[in-house]
Amino acid sequence: MELLNNLLMGLSTALELNNLLFCLIGVVIGTAIGVLPGIGPIPTVALLLPFTFSLSPPSAMIMLAGIFYGAQYGGSTTAILVNVPGETSSVVTCIDGHEMAKQGKAGTALAIAAIASFFAGTVATIVIAVLSVPLSMLALKFTAVEYFSLLVLGLIAAVVLAHGSVAKSLAMVLLGLLLGLVGIDVSSGVARMTFGIAALSDGLDFVPIAMGLFGLGEIIANLERPAARRVVSQSIRSLIPSRADLRAAFPAMVRGTVLGSVLGVLPGGGAALPPFSSYALEKKLARDPSRFGKGAIEGVAGPEAANNAGAQTSFIPLLTLGIPANALMALMIGALMMQGIQPGPQIMREQPQLVWGVIASMWVGNLMLLVINLPLIGLWVSMLKIPYRLLFPAIVLFCCIGTYGIANSLFNVWLMMGCALIGYFFIKIGVEPAPLLLGLVLGPQLEENFRRAMLIADGDFTVFLLRPISAVILAVVAVLLLAMLSPAILKTRKEALAE
Amino acid sequence: MSRSRIDLQDLLFGLFLVAVAAGTLVATRNLVIGHAADMGPGYMPRVVALALMGFGLFFSGRGFWRMRVGIAPVQLRPLLAILASVGVFALTAERLGLAIASVAAVILASLATREGRLVETMAFAVVLSGAAVLLFVKLLGLPIPIWPR
Repeated sequence: MELLNNLLMGLSTALELNNLLFCLIGVVIGTAIGVLPGIGPIPTVALLLPFTFSLSPPSAMIMLAGIFYGAQYGGSTTAILVNVPGETSSVVTCIDGHEMAKQGKAGTALAIAAIASFFAGTVATIVIAVLSVPLSMLALKFTAVEYFSLLVLGLIAAVVLAHGSVAKSLAMVLLGLLLGLVGIDVSSGVARMTFGIAALSDGLDFVPIAMGLFGLGEIIANLERPAARRVVSQSIRSLIPSRADLRAAFPAMVRGTVLGSVLGVLPGGGAALPPFSSYALEKKLARDPSRFGKGAIEGVAGPEAANNAGAQTSFIPLLTLGIPANALMALMIGALMMQGIQPGPQIMREQPQLVWGVIASMWVGNLMLLVINLPLIGLWVSMLKIPYRLLFPAIVLFCCIGTYGIANSLFNVWLMMGCALIGYFFIKIGVEPAPLLLGLVLGPQLEENFRRAMLIADGDFTVFLLRPISAVILAVVAVLLLAMLSPAILKTRKEALAE
Repeated sequence: MSRSRIDLQDLLFGLFLVAVAAGTLVATRNLVIGHAADMGPGYMPRVVALALMGFGLFFSGRGFWRMRVGIAPVQLRPLLAILASVGVFALTAERLGLAIASVAAVILASLATREGRLVETMAFAVVLSGAAVLLFVKLLGLPIPIWPR
């Protein structure tokens, strides 16, 4: 049983004392930022990146991964108690979760959310372990030609499946690619678009860009909206759900997990899309759909399971192919590269300790989260009482220090300031910044593989269509793009995302 | 939100893209393009810039003939306060040290909202500055001076 051996090896890495500690730190930070609305996992991971230099690669990845799935747990707490999503992935949980809280069943809702998350997390860990090996075997057959096509598929699919206008997202990907080209050209040694600034010759750091666009831009936009936060101030009675509650929630939990696992693996997947789909599915399957929106327990269990499963399985493309499914995974790729590890299909063979350690740590982390979230719920609720007027200056300060810390360069702080302005501009004109980050991180790889493929094929573009694997991948890209043009699908997509 | 005759969101995004693309074409005008089999450093930037130019023109054009909601008015206070906070940090961090730069950055950021109270903000800034020094310099070993040198 190779699978079992792999998992055991992973567990032995994950259970090392220092890795347990970093896993704990990751999930605690994740829960905290999940609970607090206005701070997402993207700026948090960007902020902590510089301080993972000194850690071993497995410890660093285990901690950063913990932040991501920890945030999914924390987000539901805020959704249920305050009716404000702590994370975008818990928007749906607000609907029925908060309704349950108003009916005095806050404890049950919180418990169901945590149990569903734990169940989904466990299943998703197994899904990752099972799928990783065959996918990485396939990927080993790839040359520059296939890899280029795969990168294109990753980018296009991420755009098609994410929120917002497809055309605008495509433009954002291109913008990210362009930013990724800044710096000294690897093959000719010529400086490109550096405008004579020495700090630019190594290319743009993505951390200041991520923090400016996602962290600070968001803060400025948040401050324009009038603040309204009321915690449901009832005491949380009985955290243990009744047998009837569990029986009602269980099928939804299973369906949510399956849906989340599938949607998470797709490029562009992650934690945002699955809960919406799951909620829609539960509503459709329910015998009495009118209960939804009035505190239906399935409306909490399904989406919560789905977002957690999606968050975790979105690691699969990253760990096996080196392709990020969403902006956060792009940051993880950055973290790997900072550790001197080249992400790609070979990562599984060359770094088994790292890959399986991270996979196994997810299950360990989910167990920790169950303990952290249920008995200690009071602690997180009290954190919600920190007013935003104290929170945001602290975030701004930590962003400044963190950005400075990547390369001890003030240039990065100025860059972050510029990106904050641009990020605010993007929010104002209703454009999603996430595709830009994907383009930025994947840009250099895309160019390198494109050039190498052209070199192999002597400048013949048809090579991408003549190689079978590459042709299939590009066919999928074409289908995705054509599907986006068809009005019927466009309409359903709009509805699915708006629901 | 006000209704306007043009789709301001589309128009602004389009103009932004056109500007970026034009800037790129100017900045890379001296780079060798090469050809597909042997690309020079200027090949990819130009390809991407031309594509961006296309998108930019498309959005600008669409912005003109499509009626949509305009954008919410810009509030200068949060925008300027946050940008100033980051700017002050960048100006002072290496010269005056982390302790003073942190206090200045937090106080400026706090000005972004009218909710702030002077005494509370001051005290909070000092506490945060202390925490930042302890965490980043003492614990994580960030090489940045604490006090003016």
